[in-house]
Amino acid sequence: MIDNDPQDSNHEQLPTTNAVPDTPISWTYGDIVPAVVPFTNLDHTADVQLHAWGDTLEEAFEQCAMAMFGYMTEIDTVEISECQDVVAEGHDLLSLLFHFLDECLFLFCADPFFIARKVSIVEFDRTNFRIKAVAYGEEFQIGKHPQGTEVKAITYSNMQVHENEGKSEVFVIIDI
Amino acid sequence: MVVRQYNEELKYLEKINPYCWKIKKGFQPNMNVEGVFYVNNHLEKLMLEELRNSCRPGMVGGFLPGVKQIANVAALPGIVGRSVGLPDIHSGYGFAIGNMAAFDMGDPKSVVSPGGVGFDINCGVRLLRTNLHENDVLPVKEQLAQSMFDHIPVGVGSKGIIPMNARDLEEALEMGMDWSLREGYVWAEDKEHCEEYGRMLNADPSKVSMRAKKRGLPQLGTLGAGNHYAEIQVVDEIFDKWAASKMGIEMKGQICVMIHSGSRGFGHQVATDALVQMEKAMKRDNIETNDRQLACAHIGSPEGQDYLKSMAAAANFAWVNRSSMTFLSRQAFAKQFHLTPDDLDMHVIYDVSHNIAKIEEHIVDGKQKTLLVHRKGSTRAFPPHHPLIPVDYQLTGQPVLIGGTMGTCSYVLTGTEQGMQETFGSTCHGAGRALSRAKSRRNIDYKDVLHRLEEMGISIRVASPKLVMEEAPESYKNVTDVVDTCHAAGISKKCIKLRPIAVIKG
Repeated sequence: MIDNDPQDSNHEQLPTTNAVPDTPISWTYGDIVPAVVPFTNLDHTADVQLHAWGDTLEEAFEQCAMAMFGYMTEIDTVEISECQDVVAEGHDLLSLLFHFLDECLFLFCADPFFIARKVSIVEFDRTNFRIKAVAYGEEFQIGKHPQGTEVKAITYSNMQVHENEGKSEVFVIIDI
Repeated sequence: MVVRQYNEELKYLEKINPYCWKIKKGFQPNMNVEGVFYVNNHLEKLMLEELRNSCRPGMVGGFLPGVKQIANVAALPGIVGRSVGLPDIHSGYGFAIGNMAAFDMGDPKSVVSPGGVGFDINCGVRLLRTNLHENDVLPVKEQLAQSMFDHIPVGVGSKGIIPMNARDLEEALEMGMDWSLREGYVWAEDKEHCEEYGRMLNADPSKVSMRAKKRGLPQLGTLGAGNHYAEIQVVDEIFDKWAASKMGIEMKGQICVMIHSGSRGFGHQVATDALVQMEKAMKRDNIETNDRQLACAHIGSPEGQDYLKSMAAAANFAWVNRSSMTFLSRQAFAKQFHLTPDDLDMHVIYDVSHNIAKIEEHIVDGKQKTLLVHRKGSTRAFPPHHPLIPVDYQLTGQPVLIGGTMGTCSYVLTGTEQGMQETFGSTCHGAGRALSRAKSRRNIDYKDVLHRLEEMGISIRVASPKLVMEEAPESYKNVTDVVDTCHAAGISKKCIKLRPIAVIKG
């Protein structure tokens, strides 16, 4: 396996827009990591359909992001050493989910190459379709984190958002 | 989607010869042209099975069956000829993978659709030859495979090792392989043996989002994951000795290197950005399609033009990517054998794209027209004497590189005149999936897959071994079936069959 050292190359740092929250947050492991994993992957020839659920729509969205990260590596190997802000906007619930996942994917693909162990939505504005969330995890390291499957893009294919009393679920097909 | 009984659906399909079926207008609403798909008996069963399953009540899925998708594409404005399904066709986003569709540039209603190109813009295959024989390589096969794996960054989260900064990226996006040549990563002859000479001239990096550039920069020079690979292959059979010798392939047992890769996160981001833009444009311009996933824009509109320019930049990215890996492969071989890549005759036989849209001249109903040809999971296959193919291949026709699935075989074909007429010079691209990834994970054990490869004498280096069953041959259609169908249908001709002895995957 190769040891890719991110500091090694002459990459000029393109300006990034991620800001770490000012007030340090303390947490315990038990608060953050769910015991039973509320998401799964469904059948499809070319791609993968993520199915996530929760008591609330916020939870379903959070778990969908985790389902996506879970495809790229084994989340059990990810420690929590830093956090990243996620801000997403859309014009309806579907596009909001799309952009939320896209922002999470982008955290991984470009600087900070961040993989999340847990994602918490702090603000879910249904009138203006905006989400603010915090992702807890660390930078992806080859050797420490097993290499899973690459997620190329989020798609609108058969995307479904179902919000019901006490149970919400979402379906998203991702291109891999 | 119109849902009828299966028997009703069959009335719209007609088998016109043993290798070709026609899809009549009316199968889906608003079809402007007919559809056609090329299959043999075995592949035909898979296609019809897919259709039958979708006719069952209560079937709701993300993708429609391939035949329906071909028909929906035939309903797009400006399409000419026929909506063509190649033998490796399988369902995809909007367009099926293995679908070719050409649009008249002279018609203001004609559209361009990112779904007709694919998310992985300019995913393609490059084949290098060597003057080594299998006997030269077998004693050092493991070391050579390891060396390739060490040189070429693979898998999720891997980063390129060729030094690049933001300005280099801008230049690479604009210049394509000319950048690689300037930087000393490729030989001048390599460009000759590449579609578009490795550079699409209408690329405009300013039309590409910052987000795509940020995703692309760290990944330049990486192989990727999924079905991308680098393989050390052996010539197993030569069907057309004369054409093979024009490609520098003289004997069975000759060693080649095949690289299958695309534009990585960059291309995906460009496609995603374009789809978002075009959804808005469709509302504004009142473009209606049968399927929301067939997002498109008029070719002449700002969104259409921007997409073509950024798609060209992504295509250039992929050529630079394959060129970087060519360089790294040459280095790996040179170090192993203590000879220069030149001494080893490691020339590029050809480089093809199988996810791209090109502006080409074709004869439609006896008249010459300029068409925008979308090839998604389909390879260009131009015939002998076509002006756009290299001098070396003027008499043989364009080489077509068909990558097989892991552990099976790959093929080199040549383009034919019949293909030029029937499919606007397009043919298959590979095997096409049969099983979903989730099903593969459930039913196939990765240890069995690795074990079987070892038994076949194939050295394998994979970044994510536990996912190797998703890429197992059982998950795919049979590439030999696909290639034989193209040959029998006359749309391309078999030239060489290659067998892998080492596989490097993400």
